[in-house]
Amino acid sequence: MRKVLSFLGPYRFAVYMALFFTFVELGVELFQPFLLARIIDDGIVAGDMSVVVLWGSVMVGMSLIAFAAGILNSFYAAHASQSTGYDMRSALFNKVQSFSFANFSQFPTSSLITRMTNDVTLLQNAMFMALRIMLRAPLLVIGSVIMALIVNVKLALILVVAVPLLITFLIFMMSKAGRIFRSVQEKLDGVNGVMQENLAGIRLIKAFIRRKHESKRFSEASGQLRDRTVKALRLVELSMPVILLIMNISIMAVLWFGSFEVQTGGATVGEVVAIVNYTTRMTMALSVFSMIVMFFSRAKASSARIVDVLETEVDLVDTEESNAATRITDGKIVFNSVSFKYPDTDTYVLRNVSFEAKAGERVAILGATGSGKSTLFQLIPRLYDVDEGKITIDGKDIRDMKLNVLRKQIGFVPQEAMLFTGTIRENIAWGKETATMEEIELATKHAQLYETIKDLPNGYETRLGQKGVNLSGGQKQRLSIARALVRNPKILLLDDSTSALDVKTEQKLLKSLKEYSCTTLMITQKMSTTMKADTILLLEDGELLAKGSHDELMRSSTLYQKIYQSQFGDGGTHHA
Amino acid sequence: MLNKIKEPFQHRRIKIDSTTSKSNDNEYTTRKKPRVENWWGTLKRIWKYLSESKGLITLVLFLVILSSSMALLGPFLVGWGIDAFIETQNTSGIGYLLAGLAAVYVLHSLSVWQQAFWMIRIAQKTVYQMRTQLFRHLQKLPIPFFDKRQHGELMSRVTNDMENVSNVLNSSVIQIFTSVLTLIGTLTVMLWLSPLLTFITLLIVPAMVFGMKWITKRTGVLFKEQQKNLGRLNGHIQETMSGQRIVKTFSQEDKVIGEFKERNERLKISGFWAQTFSGFIPKLMNVLNNLSFAVIAGVGGILAFNDVITIGTIVIFAEYARQFTRPLNDLANQFNTLLSAVAGAERVFDIMDEEEEMKDEGNAVELEKITGDVRFSDVSFSYEEDGDTVNNVSFHASPGETVAFVGPTGAGKTTMINLLSRFYDADSGSILIDGHEIKTIKRESLRKHMAFVLQDSFLFHGTIRENIRYGRLDATDEDVVEAAKLANAHSFIMKSADGYDTFIDADGGGISQGQKQLLSIARAILANPTILILDEATSSIDTVTEIRIQEALQRLMKGRTSFVIAHRLNTIQKADQIIILKDGEIIERGSHTSLLRQDGFYAELYNSQLKKEAMLG
Repeated sequence: MRKVLSFLGPYRFAVYMALFFTFVELGVELFQPFLLARIIDDGIVAGDMSVVVLWGSVMVGMSLIAFAAGILNSFYAAHASQSTGYDMRSALFNKVQSFSFANFSQFPTSSLITRMTNDVTLLQNAMFMALRIMLRAPLLVIGSVIMALIVNVKLALILVVAVPLLITFLIFMMSKAGRIFRSVQEKLDGVNGVMQENLAGIRLIKAFIRRKHESKRFSEASGQLRDRTVKALRLVELSMPVILLIMNISIMAVLWFGSFEVQTGGATVGEVVAIVNYTTRMTMALSVFSMIVMFFSRAKASSARIVDVLETEVDLVDTEESNAATRITDGKIVFNSVSFKYPDTDTYVLRNVSFEAKAGERVAILGATGSGKSTLFQLIPRLYDVDEGKITIDGKDIRDMKLNVLRKQIGFVPQEAMLFTGTIRENIAWGKETATMEEIELATKHAQLYETIKDLPNGYETRLGQKGVNLSGGQKQRLSIARALVRNPKILLLDDSTSALDVKTEQKLLKSLKEYSCTTLMITQKMSTTMKADTILLLEDGELLAKGSHDELMRSSTLYQKIYQSQFGDGGTHHA
Repeated sequence: MLNKIKEPFQHRRIKIDSTTSKSNDNEYTTRKKPRVENWWGTLKRIWKYLSESKGLITLVLFLVILSSSMALLGPFLVGWGIDAFIETQNTSGIGYLLAGLAAVYVLHSLSVWQQAFWMIRIAQKTVYQMRTQLFRHLQKLPIPFFDKRQHGELMSRVTNDMENVSNVLNSSVIQIFTSVLTLIGTLTVMLWLSPLLTFITLLIVPAMVFGMKWITKRTGVLFKEQQKNLGRLNGHIQETMSGQRIVKTFSQEDKVIGEFKERNERLKISGFWAQTFSGFIPKLMNVLNNLSFAVIAGVGGILAFNDVITIGTIVIFAEYARQFTRPLNDLANQFNTLLSAVAGAERVFDIMDEEEEMKDEGNAVELEKITGDVRFSDVSFSYEEDGDTVNNVSFHASPGETVAFVGPTGAGKTTMINLLSRFYDADSGSILIDGHEIKTIKRESLRKHMAFVLQDSFLFHGTIRENIRYGRLDATDEDVVEAAKLANAHSFIMKSADGYDTFIDADGGGISQGQKQLLSIARAILANPTILILDEATSSIDTVTEIRIQEALQRLMKGRTSFVIAHRLNTIQKADQIIILKDGEIIERGSHTSLLRQDGFYAELYNSQLKKEAMLG
C-alpha cells in the first residue's frame, strides 16, 4: 500500500487543495444551523425584518461559496486521482517492458493486462472517493463523540466504548474482504485469459466446431468470478447492518442508563436527548463507512497486485561491467561450450555447444524438430542468458554489452511472423524508426515484397489487422524480413523464416541478402538453402552433432546424408 | 506554486461536438460523436436481464420498504420513549419500550442485510449472463470480424465495461428504491406541515433538472469516451505483450512505451473530464439544498413574522427540507454511476448486435454423412472491395482424392481453404459438396466433416493430452496416444517432463514450432474427418521426420478428400491433382507426371527444387 501511495507524491498539492475545499464545504454546512438560529432569535423573535434579510443573504452567499469550493474540489480530486492512475499505468508498462522472458513466465499476459487497466481503475476510483466524501464521515464521527463528551461524560462513555468496537470490526472486515477481493481479481484474470485465448485461436475453434466446449470453459471461469464476487460483496455488505445494530444498541443503552441518570439527577432530559441526537448523526455518518470498507478493501487487493509487478526483480539487466561503448564491429560470433535450460526446468535444451561464425559468413542450422535450434537463436540477442559457457561477439562476451546496443544491431526474423496493427510502412519502420522511404523501399525490394506492395491499392499505407491477416503467410514472412533488413543489421537471424515462401522467391531473397555485410545465421529445413551456406551446423537433441560445409558433411555425417536423401531421393547422393 | 494551482485546469479539453471542425492544440476532438441518446434503450435491455429474477427483485423491494419503515419507526419510538419515560422520570414500563426498540432495530439490520444479500446475487447473475452471452455471441461472429478488431479492445469489453455494469447493479438498485421511498415519505410530511413552504422547496426542482441536463450531456459522452480509450489502451497492451519477442529483439521498448504513453494520456484526459463533471452533480445538489434552506429560512421568517406559521414549523420544516434533498442527492450520485454503466453496457451491446455468422440461410440443412465430393465452379472472391484474390476458379475433387494447391505466396491458396470452410463466403460462383451448394449447409454441419491443420498451429493453455483431444472431445486416452504415434509426436511427448500431462503455456518456451505442428496433426488425425485440410502442415518440421509422418498422412488421406498446401513439392507428388495458382487464377493442373510433361510453371518449380546440380553450380 505504501508503495502505491507514493504515487500520490507529485500530486500532493492537488490532494491538499481537494481536502481544503472539502473542509470549506463542511464548514458552511455546519454553519448553516447557526445562521438559522440567528434569523429566528434576532430576526423573527426580536421582530427585526432587516436581520432576517441580512442573515438570509449571508446564507445564500455562503451556499455559493460552498458550491464554488465543491466545483474546485472536483477539479483537484479528479486531477490527483487521474494523474496518479496515469503514472501507475506508465510505471507498470515500463516495468513490464524491462521484464525478461523468465519474468514473463511469472505473470500470464491476461493478468498483466487486468492489472494495468482494471486494478488501476479501481484504485483511481477509490482515490477520487477518498478525496471527496470519505473525509467527512470520520470527521463527523469524531466531532460527535467530542460533543457528546462535553454534554455528559457518563452517558457519552457508551459511545466511547461502541466506536472503537466498531472501528476494530471495520478493520477486521477490511483485511478479510481485501483477501477475497484479491481472489476476485484473480478470477477476473481467468476470464480475461479464456477470452484472450479464444480470440487468438478463433479459426481453430470454428474449424473444429468447439463453440460449445469453449462456451463451457468461459462459463466456468465467469461463474467462478461471479461466485467470488458474490462472496466478497456479501461480506462487505454485512458491515452496514452491523454498524446499524451496534449504534442502535448504543441508543438503547443511552435511553436505559439515561432514564436512571435523570432520576438520580446525574443527567438532564435535554442531555439525554442531545446524546441520542449525536448518536443518530453518527449512525448516518457511519453508514458511509460500509462504502469505505468496500473501496478500501478492493483498493488494498488491487494495490498488492500492482506492487507485485512493480517489485518483480528483473533478472536480465545490464551489469556495471556492461560497456555502453561496445559495438558489434565485424559480427564474428563464437559459442564457447554453451549449455542452457529454460528457467524452472531440469533438462538442458542445449548442451556444450561450441562453434564459430566468422564475420560476414552465412551459417545454416539444421536439425530435427525440437533439437534446440530456436533456443540457440534466442541466446544471441539475450532473450535468455546462458547457464554455462559463453557467447562472444567480436571477442567480447555479450553479457558485457548493453542490452539495447546489442539488440539494435541484430536483425531477428522469428518463426511466426508477428505484425502489429498499423500500415505496412509502419510495420517495416518498426525495425528502424528513422528509416526514410528509400530505405524502406530498398528493404522491401530485398525481401522480395516490393512488387506485392506496389500492387496494393494503398501501397505502403495499406492497413494491417492485429495479426496481419490481410496478407498471406508468405507475405507476412517477407514483411517481417523487411522489418529486420531495414535496420541494416550486423547480425541477421532467420528462424525458418522462409518456410512459407516458394523456392523461387526464396532463392531471390537469399541472393539479395548478399547485399548486406552481415553475419547471417539461418535455421532452415531446406537443403537447397543449406547447400549455399558457408558453414552448416547440425543439431540433435541439443548437441552439436556436426559442423562443416555441405561437402564435408555429406562425407562425414550419416544424419546429414539422411536429411539430404529425404529431400532429393537416393539418386542425389553422388553429384558432380 | 502558481503552476500547481493551475495544473488541474490545464488538461486538454475534449470537444464533444464534432460539427465545428476547427480545434486548437489545447483540445482534442473525438473522431465520431459517441452516441448516448439511446440510453433508455440500453437501460431497458439491462432491465430485461434483471427481470428474469422478478421474484427476488420483489423480495428486495419488499425488504427495502421494510427497512425504510423500520428506519422511520426507530427514531419515532425513541422520541416517544423520551417523552413517556425520561421526561416523566417514570421508569416502570421502559423495559417494554426497549424490547420494542430492540425488535425494530434487529428487524432493521436484518432487512438491510438481506436486501443487499439478495441484490448482490441478482446483480452478479445478471453480469454473469451478460458476460457469457457476449462470449457466446463472439463465438458466432464471422472470421472477418476478428481479423479487423484488436483483441485487447474486445477483451476490455468483457472485463472493464462489464465491471461498470456490475458496480451499478450491486448497489444502485437498492439505493434508488430507498431514495424514491424516502423522497415520497418526506414530501408527504412536508405537505402536511406547510403546503406553501413545500411549494417553495420544490422550486429547486427545475433548477436541478436544468443543471443535471447540462452535466449529463457532458458526462454521458465523456464516460463513453473514457471506456473507449480504456479499450484502446487495453488493445495496445495486449498486442505488445503478445509481440514481446519482437519488441525485445528489436530493442523497441522505448517505441512501444511512447505509443502507450499517447493512449494512456488520452485515457487520462477523458477520465479527468468525466470525473470532474460527474463530481459536479453532488455539488450542484448541495448548493440547491443550501439555497432552499436559505429561502425557507427567509420566507419562513417573513411568514412567521406575519404569524402565518410558527417558529417551530420553520425549524421542523428546515430539517425536513434537508431530508428531502438528501435522497435527491443520493439519486443524483447514483445517476452518475448509472451513466458510466450505461456507457459500458452500450459497448457490450454493440458487440452483441454485430451480425452473427451463424445466421445460416433459412433453409440450410444438416448433412449427416458426406462422401467428400467437392466442386468449385467459377468461384471469385476478394478480401477488400477492390482487386480479386481468387478469380474464376473451377475444379472438381472426387471422393477420396487428394488435391494439392501450389503457387507463389499470395496466389490465393489459403483463400481457397477459407472459402471451402466458409470462414469467408465467395463473392460469386458456387462451391458444392456432394452436390449441395455449401451456403445451403449449416456451417457447423459443414465443418463437422472437415479437419484442419492450419498455417499457424495454435495450441491452448493446457496439457498436451487436452490439446490433442481437442480434435475429438470424447476420445479415450488410448485414442490420443494412437493419434500422437501416427503423427510422430509420441516420442517427443514421452521425452517431456510429464509426458502427455506436460503443460503448454500460452507462449510456451518449452515446445518448438515443429512440435506444435506435430501436435496439430495429431489433433486432426483424431478428428477422423471426411475432408482433410492441410495448410502448410509440415513446414516447420524437419524433413527426416516429415518423411516419417508422410506415410502416416498418406494412410490418413486414404479414403478422404484431402486438400494440401505445401511448398516442398516432394510431399505432394502423390496427389491425384495438383492445381497451380497464380494471382488467384488456375494456370496449370494435372498429376505430377503430366505436369512435368507440360514443362510449365510446375516443372520449372520442381526442377529448381530438385535439381541440386543447377543450384550447386
